[in-house]
Amino acid sequence: MISVEGVTYSYGGDVVALDGVSLEVGDSELLAIVGENGAGKTTLVKHLNGLLKPQKGKVFVGGIDTKETTVARIARKVGLVFQNPDHQLFAETVEKELAFALTNFGASPEEIRSRVEWALAEFSLVKYRDRSPFTLSGGEKKRVSLASVLCYDPEIIVLDEPTTGQDNLQKTRLAGLLTKLNRQGKTVIVVTHDIEFVADFIPRVVVMSRGKIIADGKAEEVLVAKEVMESSSLLPPQLAELSWKLGLKHPSIKLDVVIGEISRMLEASAK
Amino acid sequence: MKVFKAFEFKRGSTVLHQIDPRSKLVYLILFTFLTVYFTNPVALLAIFLSFLPMVYIGKISARWQQSLRGALFFIVFIFVFNFIATVYPSWNFYGAAVSGIAMSLRFLNLISVFSIFFLTTSPEDLTQSMVQLRVPYDYALTFNMAMRFVPTLSREAQYIMDAQRSRGLEMERGNFIARIRNYIPILVPLIISSFRRAELVADAMESRGFGASKKRTSLYVLKMSQTDVLFILIVSTAALALFCLNLLL
Repeated sequence: MISVEGVTYSYGGDVVALDGVSLEVGDSELLAIVGENGAGKTTLVKHLNGLLKPQKGKVFVGGIDTKETTVARIARKVGLVFQNPDHQLFAETVEKELAFALTNFGASPEEIRSRVEWALAEFSLVKYRDRSPFTLSGGEKKRVSLASVLCYDPEIIVLDEPTTGQDNLQKTRLAGLLTKLNRQGKTVIVVTHDIEFVADFIPRVVVMSRGKIIADGKAEEVLVAKEVMESSSLLPPQLAELSWKLGLKHPSIKLDVVIGEISRMLEASAK
Repeated sequence: MKVFKAFEFKRGSTVLHQIDPRSKLVYLILFTFLTVYFTNPVALLAIFLSFLPMVYIGKISARWQQSLRGALFFIVFIFVFNFIATVYPSWNFYGAAVSGIAMSLRFLNLISVFSIFFLTTSPEDLTQSMVQLRVPYDYALTFNMAMRFVPTLSREAQYIMDAQRSRGLEMERGNFIARIRNYIPILVPLIISSFRRAELVADAMESRGFGASKKRTSLYVLKMSQTDVLFILIVSTAALALFCLNLLL
């Protein structure tokens, strides 16, 4: 579905934001892209809907080369939500904010109405529908910005730091929604620093560092690989750290696996 | 947005960077005056050529060219608009072309002289020189901060544009009125975040004790050197020569 082939990108100057990055994302995958500040995550993500075109290499979305089409055409397929909601909220009411993208894509009034209702309910924004988005709190704005993209039902959903400013309840709800959308066949890509969120909910992890992908695989394997976590300046999941400290044979990010390992260890030492 | 970048100061070690901002201010005022005063395109071209050694000495040719490239659209626009406006009653194509060229050159000269000034003058030195020229500190600081936030604003405009294009906004779509309307989703967040930032900056300044004492002292005080005298002498002579040239033409 998405195929990034040897992409290099630099904003000018000495720093190379992306340095020969290749990534394959299949249909209805759920993956996270993690990495230190300035690793190139956002630059990579901006290539997925054509906001940036690769200086070297190619990006294909659904078989189409992003260099040969417009952002608006790809955006219909790839919904990208940025970190900072203040960079996009502009409408008089939350409801109009949610309808913006649908109007741009020429949806019918009935479709707009039903999609907006869905999004308002899904993100618990119903009571704010007539409020100005600027009067909302940080976390609520974040939800409006997520809803404003998810409401047009893109096939591929890319979220840049969706968990910042969300309490645990909202995070869990977001995870639930992402998992549900993923089960319905959507591809979901989450860019984040929130490693516990990844460990709990996301099966595939891509680790970036200094413009390169340094690991790509199952979360259970990547997040317990000590070298990877250290060289990318990420805070490892607590369970991985516990596993390392106890010297478990099979470090894990799953609570039941770690408990199993520990009790096996205790049994062995009792004998 | 690249135009702004061409006015952004970068630290350098050339003579032009070390000269006191007040001397460069003399240069800026003289050459701005000449540019506005002259009407003959040859004289204006002579002013333009006089910038080349400055750009060379200050080692700013790459970014100066960038600023000119950024202004290219306006230059073409000014030429065409001037040509159309002056050609109409008399149908004197030659005269209209000359006046269009003069206007474009004038604009080019203004961009260049301001670009030379701002590319080689650090904002802190500029503020300090304003203070030493008896501009009240509050105003000097306001000016400095306005300059300081131009690149921030242009970066933010880019973020906003990215976010809205990702929601299917096409800036170039529709007729003239529709295109202007297309800017609303860009301008609203930009203005609101600017206000918010202004408040944050004010809070940050107050928490660092801005205005706590009536009399401010400065850690660094700018002093005119012999190089400055020489610089003022050279640019004044050049300005005088250009002025005479204009009289002869």
